Amino acid sequence: MALSARLLTLRNSPVLLKLPPYLSALCIVIGIAWLFILPLNEYSRQTYVSENAILPGQVHTYFGGSEHNVFRAYRQEVYQISQVSETDRLAALENVLREIGLKVAAQPYRFTVAGEDVEGTNVYGLLQGPRADATEAMVLMAAWLNFEGEINYSGLALALTLARYFKRWSIWSKDIILLIPADSTYGPEAWVSAYHSTSPDITATRNVSSLPIKAGALQAAVALDYPVGPWGHRFDKLDILYDGINGALPNLDLLNTAVAVASGQMGIGCSIHGILSHSDSYRDRLTTLAKGVVTQSAGQATGPHSAFVPYHVDAITLKTVGDGWHDEMSLGRTTESLFRGINNLLEHLHQSFFFYILLNANRFASIGNYLPAAMLLAGSFTVTALALWVQSGQVAVQSAAKVAGTDRTEKQPELEVVKIGDAVALVPAATTKPAEREMLLPAAVVLAIHLASFLPLYSLNSLHRQYLPTALQAITATSLLLPALASTALTRRFEISTQQIQIMQSFSLLLLGTSLATLATLATLNFSLAFVVGVLASPLSFVRPLPRGTSTGFPAVLGRVGEAYQYALQVTMNLIATLLYAATSPPVVLYALCWYISQDVGGLLLEMAKGWSVQGVYTSFVIWAVWWPAWVVGGIALSSGGGQR
Amino acid sequence: MKLAQLLALPATLISAVLAIPEYSEHLHLRPLPNGYLYAGFNFTASTSLSAYESQHFRYFPRSLGQILQHSDTRELHLRFALGRWDDESWGSRPRDGKREGGTGVEIWSWLDSGGGKPAVEERWSSLVNSLSGLFCASLNFIDGTKTTRPVLSFEPEGTHRGGGNGMELLHGTLPHEVVCTENLTPFLKLLPCKGKAGISSLLDGHKVFDANWQTMSIDVRPICGLGGDCRLEIQQTVDIVLDIKRSMRPRNDPIPRPRPVEELECDESKSYHASDTCYPKRKEGEMAWSLSKIFGTPVRGSCHVADGDESHDISLEVSPDRAVEVSHGGSNDTLASHEQNQLVRTMRLPDSARQHTDISLPQHIFQDSPHQNRPTLYASRQITGCGQERGGMHTVLHNPHTHQQRIVYLESLPWFLRPYMHTLKVLTHPTNSHDRPTIPLKPDQMYYTPALDRKRGTHLELLLTIPAQSTVELTYDFDKAILRYTEYPPDANRGFDVAPAIIRVLPSTHNTHNTSTAGNEIGQDSYFRTTSLLLPLPTPDFSMPYNVIILTSTVIALGFGSIFNLLVRRFVLAEEVPRSAVAVRVAGVLGKVRGVVGSLKGRLRGGGQGRGGGGVAVGVNGVAAEGDGGMNGVSSVVESRKER
Repeated sequence: MALSARLLTLRNSPVLLKLPPYLSALCIVIGIAWLFILPLNEYSRQTYVSENAILPGQVHTYFGGSEHNVFRAYRQEVYQISQVSETDRLAALENVLREIGLKVAAQPYRFTVAGEDVEGTNVYGLLQGPRADATEAMVLMAAWLNFEGEINYSGLALALTLARYFKRWSIWSKDIILLIPADSTYGPEAWVSAYHSTSPDITATRNVSSLPIKAGALQAAVALDYPVGPWGHRFDKLDILYDGINGALPNLDLLNTAVAVASGQMGIGCSIHGILSHSDSYRDRLTTLAKGVVTQSAGQATGPHSAFVPYHVDAITLKTVGDGWHDEMSLGRTTESLFRGINNLLEHLHQSFFFYILLNANRFASIGNYLPAAMLLAGSFTVTALALWVQSGQVAVQSAAKVAGTDRTEKQPELEVVKIGDAVALVPAATTKPAEREMLLPAAVVLAIHLASFLPLYSLNSLHRQYLPTALQAITATSLLLPALASTALTRRFEISTQQIQIMQSFSLLLLGTSLATLATLATLNFSLAFVVGVLASPLSFVRPLPRGTSTGFPAVLGRVGEAYQYALQVTMNLIATLLYAATSPPVVLYALCWYISQDVGGLLLEMAKGWSVQGVYTSFVIWAVWWPAWVVGGIALSSGGGQR
Repeated sequence: MKLAQLLALPATLISAVLAIPEYSEHLHLRPLPNGYLYAGFNFTASTSLSAYESQHFRYFPRSLGQILQHSDTRELHLRFALGRWDDESWGSRPRDGKREGGTGVEIWSWLDSGGGKPAVEERWSSLVNSLSGLFCASLNFIDGTKTTRPVLSFEPEGTHRGGGNGMELLHGTLPHEVVCTENLTPFLKLLPCKGKAGISSLLDGHKVFDANWQTMSIDVRPICGLGGDCRLEIQQTVDIVLDIKRSMRPRNDPIPRPRPVEELECDESKSYHASDTCYPKRKEGEMAWSLSKIFGTPVRGSCHVADGDESHDISLEVSPDRAVEVSHGGSNDTLASHEQNQLVRTMRLPDSARQHTDISLPQHIFQDSPHQNRPTLYASRQITGCGQERGGMHTVLHNPHTHQQRIVYLESLPWFLRPYMHTLKVLTHPTNSHDRPTIPLKPDQMYYTPALDRKRGTHLELLLTIPAQSTVELTYDFDKAILRYTEYPPDANRGFDVAPAIIRVLPSTHNTHNTSTAGNEIGQDSYFRTTSLLLPLPTPDFSMPYNVIILTSTVIALGFGSIFNLLVRRFVLAEEVPRSAVAVRVAGVLGKVRGVVGSLKGRLRGGGQGRGGGGVAVGVNGVAAEGDGGMNGVSSVVESRKER
């Protein structure tokens, strides 16, 4: 038998027709379970420094001794500077940098986010490597305000002391830029975007002035976050922040170097995601992984370093945490050794992984190990989409057969003679003839809903901050009502058929699956976001039209009482299903998230708007333009009642 | 014009040129602000053209002379440079930038143009290859892609027969070349005293290459006196800027460790000043220094080899009220300026070869910061944009003077940087306004040679007039080419170096109101070079080709193998297969052999009982195997028939 003929018969195999939902569920289960095996020793690896040029911790560090006196003075100076007005503060900072012997410049910037102006001025100084040729540079960053909004007294003082100390060395093969952004989000973003911008365009939301002084290509950036006042405070561990915008990560070598220097050379423990006591057990590794996935999927900035990563400048933040016995000099020596390591680089960091999930400061899962999880999730949508497509192509024979069974006078189902070689068979015509698919309406509906998704996207990212919670409430109400209204309109006005509903759902799931596969392209870019959206959208694979009204499918033996009882049961079931479905809608999930992390909705929306308009975080795009339309189409299918036969 | 160009050289040099001693050398020292010291070494040798042509060399280095003769070079300029000159704090450049090169190696020369373009290229190739060997530099990598023919940027410095006709200018750069001791040694070898005596004894690789900025130059040019006697002059210069403090560090403790607490100079006016809190005091003035401490050795003897060389060897440019001490051998002396309030003090080394000379200056606090000549122009050039596909070039030229300046801006770009000339924008605005540059500036002239892939780089030359006290921004966009993977250097991920832009400031003409305080006199042109740039290109993951090769080979082997197998194999019944005569015969022979062996075995064991038995058993096995294969064959044939 020819292959096509075989496949045509396979199409009707009852096993195959029943398989897709189970297959899809299996994909989801395996996909989720996949993450749980990653912390095992067999599926993760010990980190290692891949770039041999770095030689982390191979140099003796000399930062210490009388530099401590200088540091204390700078810390006092920073404290005094913090007491004066912003203009005086900038002037004083510039003065200190100039006394150190750096070339000083300032960069004012202004962003308009959620109806508010954010203004500030970055101050930076350039330490020209005495024997360098101005082609490469590395950045030492100490934001005036750290990510939590505290004044970074000790971090800034340490950066100043280090700059003064670095100035005496002639070993630098790259220039060193000491950057003091006004805050930890907008300042670094303004600076690094101006550093790389081809044409300084001023838009309504963005006015970043160009940089008067530049060095060569940036090789790496290290930010110090040590917000301890003028009297000092010893710390226990270094928390290494590494997440960039949109889940982009710095090269693993930079992280490894920092960890190797801090823990190997200086004896300072390193933590990831603020997990201070990490016993390297399965449970702790899983927690670290979960925190990493959540942080990465948010795609938001996690520190001053985040803005650098999209520009292919590997960057990390060293943040001091806990109470311990390490002082600022240990952090200084760590930074010194780290800079010596970066200085050793002959090429841009490229050797090690750019895609990884950390399980501990020294253990990671590489992309080859974790990617199948997201791919399986994306696959589950595609499987359902294909199944729906096949179903939509079938002529409704089963019901005809049933009718035929009850009423014998009805004509037999149409048969067709199939001749293959010498063999002749009679098969129902429906099994070989695909039904005509009417695709215009489904395609139009899917397109319309995708276009409509720009309304929530636009409103949540451009309204004034005080209207954001109201906007979300409105969006929630609309999105919950939209499927019911739309399905009523479609069934009443356009008389949508079951087939069209199936095609519509198939289109939507294909878009989601492939866009998750594009999100799988996204999954290679931002695995976590693709995974989280995939899990949250997984119910969409199992949405089928709810039965509506008295169904013919119930056994007649139960009688009228039974029928009424069944009816009540069915209504309850429908109600539960609808509620469950509503619970998985994007806005409801957002509310749940706010409740879980106990943050007010306005704050969360403001953060998302900030990320969208300042740093180009595309998480809200994925939520509103990928997930939301798929949910709405699923909702329409759910409440359509099966459509016209 | 030619005479004016000669005047461009420092005053001390002019006397050397006119008096024409066959060899003279000179060291110029000038402290720069922020604790730096400029030291300019100058070695000039000359020979008469007739002696040169008859291969009679005395002070003119023979090795270089023969190369020049062989490649018909009329005038040669060779530069080795490292680091950068800090315009803002050090002021205008020494020698008006004329003896300065861009980072790496730069060479330009006028070659005899007889024989047409191929002959010139042949000469150029021979010149750079020979110089490569002579100076241990990768000059041989200056091929067609790195060579340009500038039109406006350079003019011959020498006097040439025929007014400069019959020769052609070629210019090449190697921005990635790291200048090192191996280049200094052959440089010193060209000198008559070879770095053993005279001021060249100060040139130690450790110090020269620890400088913040250093440039070595070799210039060969013919000069003709008024009487028509022509000489060939070679001028070698080494210009360095040393960090006084860093150079004075003792050799046994070169690491800049934190100083002991007692040695810290604290700003005690700070309210928080305490025994453990010390705000470092701003360094003022200049620390005490001496030649022997900075260069690690005093000047050993002198190199007064030529007749008639009466010029001074060392000049020192310090404020007139500064005490300067000179020690010759054991005797100390004070070096005073010849006239009151003269900035430059000069001295001549003693003729004795044994005596060591040292100059030392005590610590000095300036009353007012030392006056620096403002540079004629500030220039900076950067690559903008990120990503591996395209980028932009951004050059800022800033004229601080109150008169307009005409400049020639030369860029020679590698072929893999593909500029779009339609995006070239030259915008200007007054410096003191904070607006973005908006007024377009039209270049007076523009020469542009587009690049040819793997054959020729881009050559762009613009003649611009920069208005007084204004900033000019020059921008254009470019694409980054994708190289073949064998064209990447071993450190592919570092990026590729782009040669510095060369800016020639043309002499200001008299009709412009020239009230500047600039150091350059009327009628001189000066040169600037921007820093070199790093161009990141799209780089393949170099472990990838091997993975790809292995993977694709496997896939092709599997796919091709099975498909080929299906195509050429014919399924037939086992019975239908004709047994080849050879196979039958071989099988027969084998059967016989087995029979014989079996019978032999049987005979050995039990006296010949199993003779026939072994053979029969073999035959049965063979039949069984054949039957099996036959069954398979039958079923597959049946399948295929059904399909038909």
